[in-house]
Amino acid sequence: MSRRSPPSLVSSLIRAALLWAVPGLILVTVALGLVSKNSSYRGFEEPLEASVLGLIASVEVTQDGTLRLSRDLPEPKYQRALSGQYWLIGRVEAGNEIAPILASRSLYGASLEVSQETIRALSMQEQEPVRFTTAGPDIDANEMLRVVARQVILPEMTSPVIVLSARDVRPIQREIRNFILTAIALMSALTLGLIFAVYAQVRLGLRPLFDLGRRIADVREGRAVTVEGDYPLEIAPLATELNSLIAHNKKIVDRAQTHVGNLAHALKTPIAVLRNEAEAADTTDSAIVSKQTNTMAAQVDHHLRRARAAARGQAIGVRAEMDPIIDGMVRTLPRIYREKDLTIERTGEEGLIFRGHPRDLEDMIGNLMDNAAKWTSSRIDLDVFTVEDGLCTVIIADDGPGLTAEEIETAMKRGARLDEATPGSGLGLSIVKDLADAYKGSLDFSRSDSGGLKAILRLPIAVQIDEQRGLSG
Amino acid sequence: MRLLIVEDDADLSRQLKSAFKDAGYAVDVAKDGEEGHFLGDTEPYDAVILDLGLPLIDGVSVLQKWRADGKSFPVLILTARDQWSEKVAGFDAGADDYLTKPFHVEELMARLRALMRRAAGHTTDTIELGDLMVDNRAARAFVDGMAIKLTSHEFRLLSYMAAHKGRVISRTELVEHIYDQDFDRDSNTIEVFVGRLRKKIGTDRIETVRGLGYRLLDPDSEAAE
Repeated sequence: MSRRSPPSLVSSLIRAALLWAVPGLILVTVALGLVSKNSSYRGFEEPLEASVLGLIASVEVTQDGTLRLSRDLPEPKYQRALSGQYWLIGRVEAGNEIAPILASRSLYGASLEVSQETIRALSMQEQEPVRFTTAGPDIDANEMLRVVARQVILPEMTSPVIVLSARDVRPIQREIRNFILTAIALMSALTLGLIFAVYAQVRLGLRPLFDLGRRIADVREGRAVTVEGDYPLEIAPLATELNSLIAHNKKIVDRAQTHVGNLAHALKTPIAVLRNEAEAADTTDSAIVSKQTNTMAAQVDHHLRRARAAARGQAIGVRAEMDPIIDGMVRTLPRIYREKDLTIERTGEEGLIFRGHPRDLEDMIGNLMDNAAKWTSSRIDLDVFTVEDGLCTVIIADDGPGLTAEEIETAMKRGARLDEATPGSGLGLSIVKDLADAYKGSLDFSRSDSGGLKAILRLPIAVQIDEQRGLSG
Repeated sequence: MRLLIVEDDADLSRQLKSAFKDAGYAVDVAKDGEEGHFLGDTEPYDAVILDLGLPLIDGVSVLQKWRADGKSFPVLILTARDQWSEKVAGFDAGADDYLTKPFHVEELMARLRALMRRAAGHTTDTIELGDLMVDNRAARAFVDGMAIKLTSHEFRLLSYMAAHKGRVISRTELVEHIYDQDFDRDSNTIEVFVGRLRKKIGTDRIETVRGLGYRLLDPDSEAAE
């Protein structure tokens, strides 16, 4: 079953911010539209209402019972035919039309349609004006009128008349639509800006965390020893705790190493005493003791090496300069094998840093060089070079008798020895192989130019942090 | 030949002392670094077996002090520490050989003999002076192919003189190299040993140089002269 990858902190924070920001902005846009519409209509209807009141004030009933205006309304649009602004005084007749008694010139003899509900509302609301929308007289232009109307009973009249004033509503509808579109555009831009701002803020806010992640990777991969850098107040304790943890881890490993060392000393000396005592006695019992102590010695050696390697494998942030270890071996081996008049030729790169524990590097280089020194007639060639970023090759070649493929296979087996007469525990090559594997490196053998054995050891190396910064900067 | 064994384990120390005594060496033992350093600093040893994990002063420091003071005797480090860095540190401090525990006494003896041989400029364990042959490996001597019976002190005397054949060796030097520290040293006994040795290997082989000491004659180099 595949596991879901953990959620990204950045996307979670951005999602959370957008979750409230986007509906909020939509709500604001809708509210703005409504407010704008109401306000526009109020502004639009106020002059119509004033016109209605003006008409009521100006209308007179003549002696013959007809109506007339004592003075014209000042708005010139009432005079121009189909100008979009109209007034009318009339009576409701059968159907939905108002039969005009008096009307503005602009209405051009037409009447206005009124719905049944409006007529009912007019009869019920005598004091308050009734507002409604209806089709205008200019049918070709799809005119829509906003109407303000009142029903009044004029003096000396018995039946009520309807006084209304109307104006083409489309310009104001266009304005409202334009306003809403502008608001939507602005709000969309604001939303996009907000998304970008939230993203930038989250990235900026989390930058110390990303930096911390990189520093930890540096430690993990041996480019740095501790988590370095100045961190904000909130993250500083984390970096401090990490460094404490790394230091603690190292201390535990060092302590384990010391214990292993002490154990080695504590066991090996008594084994030596037992073995010497048994060998000196020269009896059947002593032969058994001698044989068993030899087994014990080999076992102790094997398990102590394993314990050391296991303890070291757990450590993080460890690295080792390769040169001092190689130089030490180059210096020491000729002293150990004085009778061979050994020459060790070192070529290749210097200044490489092994991404692992110095003792492991010592064990690998030391055992391979010691093996070469055992078998060589007088010369060992050592070459160290980088093969690719983060990986180096160490080649140790001797001019000894070399090994066949089967012999190499045997040599890799734990505890195997090719020649019992040559000193050594027989653990050397298998330990080198195990250690190289543990570091995701490799150990291979082939024939050297001089016919001897060529060991090819591949190891992880740390890219120098200064160098890395230089490259990125 | 006189050895110093610096080893804090009493049993191992006793075993080594016994084994090397049986092999014809005068042996002193020290149980800690301080005592070991003092003895090496004041006594003229022919070789030293030095442990590294010692009480008071560690083995590497002891060795560094000796070398800083110009002591050139061969030193074999005998230790449970088997890390390459420890071997490198041991050799860098001035060790001549390094053997890790547990070990075979025969191997230790062979290595020590090789060290002493190298220090004296010889290539084999046996030293031949005409028909006299001294076998340091077997701790025996032969005249004309016939084994001669020697006490341990007589063998040590012969072995030391053979290692420095043709050179005048003072009585004091002989005392210092054939007796261990615990022995009641009396230089007059050297005369007694030399007398006995002359009887066993032939009177004309050891020359008395008046006021200076003794010299084991090397017939080959005498003939060459």
